[in-house]
Amino acid sequence: MKPAFAIVFAVVYAVVYVVSVLNNYALFTYHPAIAEFGAGVQKGKDGPAMYWYGWLATSAIVASVAGALAAVLPESATRRLWPGLTWLVALVALAVLAYDLRQFFLK
Amino acid sequence: MNWQTVLLIVHGLFAVALLGAITHQAAAVLLPASRPAGSFVGRFRAVPGPSYVNAIVVLYLVTAVLGGVLYTEYRIGVRTVVEQLGLWPAHGAFELKEHFAAIGLGLLPAYWYCWRFTGEPRTRAVLTAFLAVIVWWNFLVGHILNNIRGFGV
Repeated sequence: MKPAFAIVFAVVYAVVYVVSVLNNYALFTYHPAIAEFGAGVQKGKDGPAMYWYGWLATSAIVASVAGALAAVLPESATRRLWPGLTWLVALVALAVLAYDLRQFFLK
Repeated sequence: MNWQTVLLIVHGLFAVALLGAITHQAAAVLLPASRPAGSFVGRFRAVPGPSYVNAIVVLYLVTAVLGGVLYTEYRIGVRTVVEQLGLWPAHGAFELKEHFAAIGLGLLPAYWYCWRFTGEPRTRAVLTAFLAVIVWWNFLVGHILNNIRGFGV
């Protein structure tokens, strides 16, 4: 594994995950009551709809593609990637998600 | 005992192993012990951090997959009760748990790489501490939610 892949994967994954959660860009929907998957974002069937797995899939696929592209770039182009971006972007992502959930802790 | 209860116990056991491993490693990298360590706390901090990396990655993945399987049961059988009881902080804490677990998954390649190949001690230390916080949060929230409404009840 190249360092560029690890750094770009972590950064893109966190960003895409936050965007997916906030805008509901789930690759697929799971209907737990009837144990069925459906493509894209769907309303619940006979019960609630679950999007978390779809958000994970969206994030993992986009981050894998971005990481693979970064890995094939010449080293001179990726040398300046700061590894600290991995945790910094993840920290900001969690802060945004926590802020989005603030209503649960303020009731 | 139904399969969800068995899976929940297995999930909990993997989580305990992960908690121990990541806490050992975080202590070793953030507060390295002077050798030879004599006290219990000193020996706790004196473990060789690199030897924990693969185990932590595997334990995180297995625990997350088991949690992902159980999540469907939580969504139908537990979350509804939590909402009906108006336990909003507990509900919000679990929502955060799923986000913590997801963000942690995305950090695993960088965490593994930092421990294996790079001379980036600061990034290695922060990523390890970050994962430790995620694992502790998820463990405690899972435990609290299980106390509110365990499976098989």
